[in-house]
Amino acid sequence: MQLLNIGKFILLRTLKFAILLFAVVLFSFILVSFSPVDPIQSYLGAEMMVVSEEQKERLAEYFGVDESKTQQFLNWLNMFLHGDLGTSLLYRQEVIAVIQERFLASFVLMAISWIISGIFGYALGVIAGMNKGTMIDKAIKSFCFILASTPAFWIGILLLIVFSLWLGWFPIGLSLPIGMLAEEVTVWDWLKHIILPALTLSIIGVSNITLHTRQKVMDVLESEFIRFARSKGEEGFRLFARHGLRNTLFPAISVHFASFGELFGGAILAEQVFSYPGLGQAIVQAGMNSDVPLLLGIVVFSTLFVFIGNLLADLLYYLIDVRMKNGETI
Amino acid sequence: MKVNNRFLLLSVLIFACFLLVACASQASDSETDKKKDSLVLAIGSEPTDGFDPTTGWGRYGSPLFQSTLLTLDRNFNVQPDLAVDYSVSEDGLEWTVKIRDDVKFSDGEPLTIEDVIFTFETAKNSQSVVDLQNLKKIEKLDAQTVKFVLERPQSTFLYTLTMLGIVPKHAYSENYRENPIGSGPYKLVQWDKGQQLIVEENPYYYGKKSPFKKLTFLFLSQDAAFLAAKAGQVDIVSVPPNLAKESISGMKLIALDSVDNRGIMLPFVKPGYDAEKGIEIGHEVTSDLAIRKALNIGIDRDKLVEDVLEGFGTPAFSVADKLPWWNEETVFEDGDIEAAEQILMDAGWRKNADGIFEKDGEKASFTLVYPASDQTRQSLAIAFKQMAKEIGIEVNTEGKSWSEIEEVMHSTPVVMGWGSHDPIEIYHLYHSKYRGQGYSNANYYSNKKVDQYMDQAIHAITPEEANEYWKKAQWDGETGFSALGDAPWVWLVNLQHLYFVNEHLNIGEQKIQPHGHGWPITEFIADWTWEE
Repeated sequence: MQLLNIGKFILLRTLKFAILLFAVVLFSFILVSFSPVDPIQSYLGAEMMVVSEEQKERLAEYFGVDESKTQQFLNWLNMFLHGDLGTSLLYRQEVIAVIQERFLASFVLMAISWIISGIFGYALGVIAGMNKGTMIDKAIKSFCFILASTPAFWIGILLLIVFSLWLGWFPIGLSLPIGMLAEEVTVWDWLKHIILPALTLSIIGVSNITLHTRQKVMDVLESEFIRFARSKGEEGFRLFARHGLRNTLFPAISVHFASFGELFGGAILAEQVFSYPGLGQAIVQAGMNSDVPLLLGIVVFSTLFVFIGNLLADLLYYLIDVRMKNGETI
Repeated sequence: MKVNNRFLLLSVLIFACFLLVACASQASDSETDKKKDSLVLAIGSEPTDGFDPTTGWGRYGSPLFQSTLLTLDRNFNVQPDLAVDYSVSEDGLEWTVKIRDDVKFSDGEPLTIEDVIFTFETAKNSQSVVDLQNLKKIEKLDAQTVKFVLERPQSTFLYTLTMLGIVPKHAYSENYRENPIGSGPYKLVQWDKGQQLIVEENPYYYGKKSPFKKLTFLFLSQDAAFLAAKAGQVDIVSVPPNLAKESISGMKLIALDSVDNRGIMLPFVKPGYDAEKGIEIGHEVTSDLAIRKALNIGIDRDKLVEDVLEGFGTPAFSVADKLPWWNEETVFEDGDIEAAEQILMDAGWRKNADGIFEKDGEKASFTLVYPASDQTRQSLAIAFKQMAKEIGIEVNTEGKSWSEIEEVMHSTPVVMGWGSHDPIEIYHLYHSKYRGQGYSNANYYSNKKVDQYMDQAIHAITPEEANEYWKKAQWDGETGFSALGDAPWVWLVNLQHLYFVNEHLNIGEQKIQPHGHGWPITEFIADWTWEE
């Protein structure tokens, strides 16, 4: 019964996703077609004048920009439905290959920061919630408000200046040491390069989860069963561990899953600042050069990524709800 | 207190991780002492489409991994490289090239005439920046000699021979762009996409060897590259003018002259409609020769360099300043407002109450369009507006996107920039047969005599002969497309390309740099030295 419901739920969601994907792709395409960048002009750059008109026409054909915008979009859609994302103009390579190359790096970065911000965010939220109204609570709250309104790239540059330039502890950008061959790169090298970008990204992710958890903790602490437990003499973190942890952890996790979108957006900025070779860097390049196939390919991919995050979040809510309905509340 | 402890433990663990890594990084930093046979360069953007010359890699000079049939030395004289000799038939249609027989690719295989033919055929069929539409066929004459047959005579085919790196037929595949093999001074060792390129010297290279056995090119954002230089991690970093005023300890600023020019394209014809292309053309005010001449002579180019480029540039008087096909006579004393006013008075223009010239009820006024995304061009447009006002010409500036500019550029003055090492650029910019063809000759310039000179230049057999005609097309004493003649452009400035270079590194003398900033600097890497 429960399984069936989940199945229906996923099916409904998938349908929604298909519609959403179409809308996002169409909207992105319309936006790019308003872009001031002419892909041929951008590709040729200063060579514009040494290339003959004949050659430019052949290029337009190769780039697929000699047709009307509508036709271009239909062409893309047709290819997409056949499972082909096309060829990136910028990289002269299959879009799917570019995404594959880039995704792993982005994924590792996002996963690490997602976990770190989850752990720290939750911990801070619990501490603040448990100490409602005290100096600690106020400090944590203001910290979160400041973070929530701070752009990721700015934090990135700040970390770079302090930890790389002044202290010299971490490298400036890239995901591997300068000039080192792949076989010489150790896990330490790799860790060293990912820490600052991951830190930037996780600092941004903390405030959302902290504030949510704080609220939830406060709500739970005011409920009847806590009062009952308190009357039995339980207190402090022991009380919380027994009665609050599960009640606040699941909502926190689902909130955290729902933040995949922000995570992706933050990754784009962090990758730019740290010259970290992920999808974010590729989408910026694609946008700057009107590389429509690559741009749409990454849009599809990131939509899918964010969708999965939201789906997991909703599924978690659903599971919690079901358990509550069945009277399995702790 | 159980949970509390767990959190504490985790936090401590993570913090410990950070500390450990931090310490480890400090330890390894001291090991990477700079050895003088390797360099780290952060000079430009990543060639994302790879290192395949047949799709455009290396067109700015040194292909690094491959070598070309001919090269241009610092003074743009043609020098042999892979070729030992070349000749052109009387009608300019047949180019015969004889190559060396002792050259090997970096994989040890010999470079043969088949590789040369293969390269040109592949390049012709690639939809890319390499334009070989004029190449009709290629014939092998003997084991060392090849004949290129052109559709139409083209003296600038010579520059194609200096730009197109030769690729190996036996090792060419779809993945060549990522694993280039060539006969150039370096071979690719590792390309970490989006990050860096590591190259080592090619043991089989036949030319002069560089003292630097290993080069690492970093593809960092501008800010990160600058920080990396400040942290002492790179030997050469390219910088924009706004960073050039900063100082980096242990590094010196080097400003290289270029033909990376900026100028204002003025519509040449009276307003009208080109029915064939379906576009509005011409401008009432700028079609007047007196206006174009007055602007050219009244603008103070040195002041533009000082104010807009913060001194990092040179005045520009043509599209090809200081290149061999440049006519030196086109330089003149500028910033002369009196002379500019005199030209306008002589042509019947009179100043009105606002100090703006008028003629037959027409105000000397036009809109100048610049690409809104380019800050330098915007500043140039605004400075130009102020200088024009002093002469008595009203200029309104307007920033637009390139696609909007494309729609108005045939009837509105535009701030543009060019600068190539190939004189075919002149041909496309000024020849009347390219009028209205995209960006080529967008202002509809036309002069029969100039056309004739440029056709003669294209048909010339030797570069010397061609250059004579290119120069005459600019100014032959009576007419030409320079400011002395028809003045369809007001050329303003050439940008300087700026680099911070390690104090110990001597990169010697460089060529006049082309439009692109970055890779061309590696062209004479064989002559770089390290001085303690």
